[in-house]
Amino acid sequence: MIELFHVWKQYQKPHWALSDVSLEIGSGEFCFITGPSGSGKTTLLKIIFRELFPTEGQILVDGVNILKIPDHRIYKLRRTMGIVFQDFRLLFHQSVFHNVAIPLQILGLPYKEIRRRVFNALRQVNLHHKMWDFPQRLSYGEQQRVAIARAIVNNPSILLADEPTGNLDPELAFEIMSIFKEINKQGATVIIGSHDRELIRHFGDKIFFLQKGKIIGKEEKQ
Amino acid sequence: MIFRQLWYLVKAAGSNLWTFRGRNLVSVLIIGFSFLVIGIFLALSNNLTYLGQQLSNNLAISFFLDRNLKPGDLEDIKNQILASELVDQVTYVSSADALARFRANFPELQEIIDNLKSNPFPPSYEVKLKEKILSLQAIVYFMEKIKSLKGVTDVQFNQEWVEKMESLSRIVQAVGFFLGGILILASFFIISNVVRLNVFARKNEIEILRLVGATNTFIRIPFLLEGFVLGLLGSLVSFFILFILIKIFPIYIGSSLGAARELFSLRPLTLEQAGWLIAGGVVTGTLGSVTSVSRFLRV
Repeated sequence: MIELFHVWKQYQKPHWALSDVSLEIGSGEFCFITGPSGSGKTTLLKIIFRELFPTEGQILVDGVNILKIPDHRIYKLRRTMGIVFQDFRLLFHQSVFHNVAIPLQILGLPYKEIRRRVFNALRQVNLHHKMWDFPQRLSYGEQQRVAIARAIVNNPSILLADEPTGNLDPELAFEIMSIFKEINKQGATVIIGSHDRELIRHFGDKIFFLQKGKIIGKEEKQ
Repeated sequence: MIFRQLWYLVKAAGSNLWTFRGRNLVSVLIIGFSFLVIGIFLALSNNLTYLGQQLSNNLAISFFLDRNLKPGDLEDIKNQILASELVDQVTYVSSADALARFRANFPELQEIIDNLKSNPFPPSYEVKLKEKILSLQAIVYFMEKIKSLKGVTDVQFNQEWVEKMESLSRIVQAVGFFLGGILILASFFIISNVVRLNVFARKNEIEILRLVGATNTFIRIPFLLEGFVLGLLGSLVSFFILFILIKIFPIYIGSSLGAARELFSLRPLTLEQAGWLIAGGVVTGTLGSVTSVSRFLRV
């Protein structure tokens, strides 16, 4: 379970990127955070995996206050999460295989196991035929799918995705969402920052509406 | 599992060294040239030390003796001389030996000698001092002591040379410490900045590793290995260039400096110096790399 209590974030005075955000996302939920550009979606996601510290407030992940975790222990939190970054953050001098394999290599898994899991993850995003290509030779959408494969390869218990379908055609966007839904069915909590109304309407179980850093509404499917 | 991770990290370091070979080559060359400057200075300093030793080897004191000394007295004086720690070797030069030596060294003055009725050269003890003894005070004290012995009539010693040697040695040492200190400091800053730029160019990679759950150690190790290899290669490059310089430098300065060429020759580094230079390269490369990575490991 992820709980945010009165979270505020300020990059520069006098503007607040997040203002008094409190929310609760239960284990295994499929949740969207939506709102116009600049509403604070990315900031909120970054705070959840502690790339950013809030100016004020507290965040609990599975009952642990993540702001109190010392820097040298934060890797434990991140290993339970899969993150799809808005800018993909791929290593362009490494092959698709190596990019996707990073979270597994960190764990010290045997090469055979890594290869099997990477292949499965790439097959899920329909990119297994480009396993040995380099990211710069891939299209924007394909690079995005590599980023998704890297996020799911570790079977994370929490999956965070920032605009994961932003550059994909509607058909592929639906396909990717279906993958996320599948991972969610296997027990993972999925939180997606998106402003694609069609996708949200179709897939969202729980939706938080953000505007100018404030939660202005919440919708939950029964 | 640890071995698998280590193997992965070694492979990652190797792969990074090859992938960024252009940038790494520049780092190696900069490290190499920085250490080359230190190496050249060491080679010059080695030469000056060598010259100093050569000069001190040639330093000899002649104690002139009374012609009528008995063999027992001669032996006493010799023993007194040998008792000093400064002395390496004592040779007795009889009057006849001295005359023969004069004839051999100055054949043009043969006539003057022939016109003399007796041998003008007194017998003497020629004392060769030990190497690396350049304390003028100790030498003067020793000379005064032997001169006061019964049967020693005079002493001959080029004090001026010893004084010059002493001051030259002090200047070389002072210049050595000053230049060496500045060069080492400057090299360290250059090298750590080069490594820092190298790391900075890969800050994206460090960030990704951090965000997907890598420990700081896991991120640091490949950079540490890369810094180690770059430092090692850099110092080896400096050795290689220094070797070539030592070979071709004498040819280049051959005719231009005349007698002073001896002063500006390069003498190969000792094993100890070579070891320190390599260790310096390795330590600078590794430390520069690790401290630079640490800046990107916060949070």
